Amino acid sequence: MPDPEGCDSEDGVDEPAVHVHWEGRIVWAYCLGIGMMIHGHRTGSTGQPEACVPRFIVALRRPIAYHLGSPSATDSPAGFVFMLLHSPARSLVFRRWTASCRPRIAKSRLFFPPVAVATWCFSFVVAGDLTNSVAPPWYAAIEDTGVIDFTNDVIPILTKAGCNAGACHAKAGGGQNGFELSLLGFEPDLDFDRIVSQARGRRIFPAAPEESLLLRKATGGVPHTGGVRIGVGSPEYQLLAEWIRGGALPRVGLRSGQSDEPSTISSELVDVLVQPELQRMQPGQSQQLTVIAIYSDGGTRDVTALALYESNNPAIATVSDTGVVTAAEMPGSAAIMVRYQGRIPVFRPSVPLGPELTNLVPGENVVDQHVFANLARLGIPPSVRCDDATFLRRATIDMVGRLPTETERQRYWAAPDQQRRIMLVDALLLDPDYAEYFANKWTGLLKNRRDNSNDLAANFAFHAWVRDHLQAGTGYDQIVKQLLAATGTVRSNPPVAWYKRVTDPKQQIEDLSQLFLGVRLQCAQCHHHPFERWSQDDYYALVACFSQVGRKPTGVRNEDMIFHQRGVAEATNVRSGQTLRPRALGTGLGEIDPSEDPRLRLADWMRTPDNPYFAPALVNRYWKHFFHVGLIEPEDDIRDTNPPSNPELLQALASQFIASGFDLRGLVRTLVLSDAYQLSSEPNSHNRVDTQNFSRFYPRRLTAEVLLDAIDQLLVTQTSFSNLPVGTRAISLPDNSYNRSVAFLKVFGRPDNSSVCECERVQTGNLAQSLHLLNAADLKTKLAARGGLAEQLANAQESLADRIERIYETAFCRSVQSEERDAAEAFMTQPTATKTDFEDLLWAIINTKEFLFNH
Amino acid sequence: MNRSSRSCPGPQATVFTGRRAFMKFGLAGAGLTLPGLLRLRAAASETEVGQSVPSRSGKAVILVWQPGGCSHIDTYDPKPLASSEYRGPFAQIATKIPGYSFTELIPRQAAIADKMVVLRSMYQLAPGHPAGTMQLLSGDPDTRDKPAPKYPDWMSIAHYLLSQRAAGVPRTLPGYIGINPPTEYNGPAYLGDAYSPFSISGDPSDPNFVVPNIGLTDVGEIGRIQRKVQLRERLDTMDRAFDSANELGALDQFESQALALLTDPSTKRAFDLSLEDNATRDRYGRNSWGQQLLMARRLAEAGVDIITTSLNGKLCGRVRNWDDHAVNHNVFEALRFRAAAYDQAVTALIEDIYQRGLDERILVCVTGEFGRTPKISYQPSTGAGDGSAPAGTKQPGRDHWVRGFSNIWSGGGIRVGQVVGATDKLGEDAVERRCGPGDFLATIYHHLGIDSSNVFIEDLSGRPTPIVDHGKPIPELI
Repeated sequence: MPDPEGCDSEDGVDEPAVHVHWEGRIVWAYCLGIGMMIHGHRTGSTGQPEACVPRFIVALRRPIAYHLGSPSATDSPAGFVFMLLHSPARSLVFRRWTASCRPRIAKSRLFFPPVAVATWCFSFVVAGDLTNSVAPPWYAAIEDTGVIDFTNDVIPILTKAGCNAGACHAKAGGGQNGFELSLLGFEPDLDFDRIVSQARGRRIFPAAPEESLLLRKATGGVPHTGGVRIGVGSPEYQLLAEWIRGGALPRVGLRSGQSDEPSTISSELVDVLVQPELQRMQPGQSQQLTVIAIYSDGGTRDVTALALYESNNPAIATVSDTGVVTAAEMPGSAAIMVRYQGRIPVFRPSVPLGPELTNLVPGENVVDQHVFANLARLGIPPSVRCDDATFLRRATIDMVGRLPTETERQRYWAAPDQQRRIMLVDALLLDPDYAEYFANKWTGLLKNRRDNSNDLAANFAFHAWVRDHLQAGTGYDQIVKQLLAATGTVRSNPPVAWYKRVTDPKQQIEDLSQLFLGVRLQCAQCHHHPFERWSQDDYYALVACFSQVGRKPTGVRNEDMIFHQRGVAEATNVRSGQTLRPRALGTGLGEIDPSEDPRLRLADWMRTPDNPYFAPALVNRYWKHFFHVGLIEPEDDIRDTNPPSNPELLQALASQFIASGFDLRGLVRTLVLSDAYQLSSEPNSHNRVDTQNFSRFYPRRLTAEVLLDAIDQLLVTQTSFSNLPVGTRAISLPDNSYNRSVAFLKVFGRPDNSSVCECERVQTGNLAQSLHLLNAADLKTKLAARGGLAEQLANAQESLADRIERIYETAFCRSVQSEERDAAEAFMTQPTATKTDFEDLLWAIINTKEFLFNH
Repeated sequence: MNRSSRSCPGPQATVFTGRRAFMKFGLAGAGLTLPGLLRLRAAASETEVGQSVPSRSGKAVILVWQPGGCSHIDTYDPKPLASSEYRGPFAQIATKIPGYSFTELIPRQAAIADKMVVLRSMYQLAPGHPAGTMQLLSGDPDTRDKPAPKYPDWMSIAHYLLSQRAAGVPRTLPGYIGINPPTEYNGPAYLGDAYSPFSISGDPSDPNFVVPNIGLTDVGEIGRIQRKVQLRERLDTMDRAFDSANELGALDQFESQALALLTDPSTKRAFDLSLEDNATRDRYGRNSWGQQLLMARRLAEAGVDIITTSLNGKLCGRVRNWDDHAVNHNVFEALRFRAAAYDQAVTALIEDIYQRGLDERILVCVTGEFGRTPKISYQPSTGAGDGSAPAGTKQPGRDHWVRGFSNIWSGGGIRVGQVVGATDKLGEDAVERRCGPGDFLATIYHHLGIDSSNVFIEDLSGRPTPIVDHGKPIPELI
């Protein structure tokens, strides 16, 4: 690894050394010795020594990764101070000060071999540009209590080695080959029992720890399907062996009988920190992370070697098993998830493309302020503003799900240059198709399914209810509340239809949290969520909110009347058996009277301004609708470990959305009228590689419904949907049943309304689509339809050039270019173009990327 | 970004993000234009694909499906010593596997039993057709019937994994083809329709049978398609540079593949049974089932990975499937009715793949979702027809049976000429070498070179779902 700071630290540990210095402004010492206390001096901007800060860093009695720190020239002053004391009688006293600054970690790591218990070693490193900080930064705080704790010491080794991964011994229902562990060690008590007591205790063998099955398997000493996971003699191996030798107790002195503390005392993990947390990195640059665990007794430990690392975007930054992050070539922000014992701190590297841009002038719009600030930071020059024709087609498709009509085109071009985009957007917001188009989106996510003909009335009523509220401009919070807390019958109150399709309270909370909060709780039904804070208690407390949903049959089969059933709302955690009262995610709902419907409390919690999920989830969902890539991807997976690409933007949009009274139209207007939305999709010479910072517009294929409607609109044809009036368009369909009768919709990925995930809609190409476009009867019929565009054009009196121009205006809102006209004319039969010619020309137009995509 | 290892950092586990994984996985291979091929290769080389999926194995699986479930006690697992309430009217005959017999219904298979493995100890837990099919084909543990499958079937999963493995390898034929395939209770679920079979319906023995979307014969029409595609290429001027996700490139691939299917004579040949000599066509039987199985072999020979074909329709009898409740069929009459065509077609397929030296490459599996009750039930018929007496006539039938049933396996390089497992003396419970749906699926994946113990695919909620939850390849079948 390169070591730009010139910090050479591969020396032996027993050799005191002075290593770290920085630009001549600060010099700090790195020492290793016995019983020393060192005072550091800080040099202020005046060049005069200032205050002294004592530091102690502590002893290593077992192998542990150890880091040396060094400051950075670019970052603001570092400001982490760990003050650590250690004495033979007491374990660690620990304090920490934090200032508003970030240290960087150098790339050097040392492995300390175990040393005798009696030896008191300590070491420390301090380094940093301390110009403005109250205290110097710290590095490497290491604690050792001389005790091996099953939960704190043994489990992390098993986790790091992959033993308790979902594919291995944590496989649901029995583990692997009869040895079962809890997923990622979330249930240490169970794991202890399984390792120590199960299989007649043959997994551990204190008399000869090396012969324990646990170690023999893990080291490949006996055949092991999972291969060699731990090397013989490795630090991990030694610790496991030591633990077994000590009797394989929950907590055991490092050497039997020599523990400082009674074995009953257990310190719990209270926090895990990663250093640094943020970092600007150049492509190709590497950064060693340091992970510090903090325990309830005040002790800390460097767990860098035991933590697991994962990058959410390897195209931007990758991470090694040992916590070395390397920036790749793509500019942007990534999140490196660091997992240790259920705690998941995140390191966020950002990789700029070029030097910071100083000439970007963001507009008033909240979107632009943050998008362009981010681009400036990352040095990504945005594409130019798209032309008016492109904007007309783009905004119309995204807002109302169709191509612009002839009238709309005329009105647009007639408007004054400076006004035309704003006037278009304001007109589209009031267009009934706006409500149709977004009702199509929401009814799909709300599972408006038709499983049999009984569902028909409910399907139509529910769809109409959603559409009407969107049209009326009802606040999003109110729509959600009416749905979530619906009572009555479908006839009297259409949102009850949601309770007809989603009947199980578990499914209800999973759907609602994923859809409205962007939180995926499914995992927590059966085990602690592996990447999240959500436990089974959180899950079942939310289920409790729906425990008093009463049902009474109505005249229609499977269609119940929904009411609040008086009683104490509660649910049982299936694993612990504990009864839980209703809670919202991460916060209580207070005492709920048996007569009160807990769903109303939940709905009110949703719309509270400090709810960290509700507004961001919606804003992100709409952002993705218009910008085609979410600020958080996937759009309904909000977690600490999946941070937004532009957090400030998400927060600002959410705040504005809350302040507006959850006004959906206002949000759409903000998004569409931003300069960011109006950027060209064509990259400039720099931003081609950008896929997440919105330096250009990212094109997306038209959805199945929009594409079918656009084809009909261009060809002057109609698709007939069973039992719906002629002229009904695909975006107005109430439910999924038409996917069966109209093959086009299914082939192009219209969802079956069976999931709350937008990902049920498939936007990717496949062979069936291509075959459909090339050879399917429905498209052929439309192209050749009587009275259709091909026939009209063949019979028209205008010049061929004018007719071609007409096609381009309708399909692309722009004039045909001369090369295109030449190609089209050359294709036509001479001297008179036939209907077949126009059919083929229109086919070719429909199959261009320019038509298939919104760009 | 395509391979997600966000979850389950287990030793060799490979987690696939399912449909959110973009195009590169969507490609079922394609006949490519040169620029397209280069684009695609470039994409593939950036992607870390399929760590636990070894390189394309060149293997194939033909699943011959008995919709409704075959009565095991009347065919592969006779119980001549059981009482008349159980055993049925069929005599037992010796097979080529010493010491084991079949019933007289399937003499041709008995004569080539040395080329098959009879697994007599299959069981599952879902007694309805939907849930039973979902258990066997997708490993769904839910025993209740539901309208649509929750998990993808093994065919879609294998198609998905193999497509991914072969991304960038030019090919014309789809990787997964269904010839009257089972589709009612199975499908790609959260993998998306891109992983459905290329589906052919109809009776291939019908002289007017055509495969839609394959090998157009009208020269004028081919010319027209090619001309308009050329025009489209000239008009398709949009800057491709925006395409950082290679979406457009992938669309081009699919168009090329579709075009090849439509216009390339070689693709038509893969489906064209008239190119088989008459003796071969006769040997399979000049009926729908025989020609379906012949087409299956032909397609496997041409490089298709996964072929399913359902033995349904009028050759089954009145209700057009194997669901031999007494109300539907007289089970014995119905079995007699369909036995000849069934026996001939399956026998021909097995013999043929051995004679052509395809027996290492192609694994054949013949099964239904379950067996039929060993104990005979008597009910009035609900209608007259093939295999059923006039309405109201009390006739024998057998109902759904999941606790023990048989399926047969051949080819695939397995050690044939064995009977594996056994049911009890009444044919009710699998008692020796019990094999569940997970074992069944793992066996098939194993043949395709997929280590099912370590492959996960994310469902729509992002949960990494193992492709086989519990089960291991059946040792005798690998």
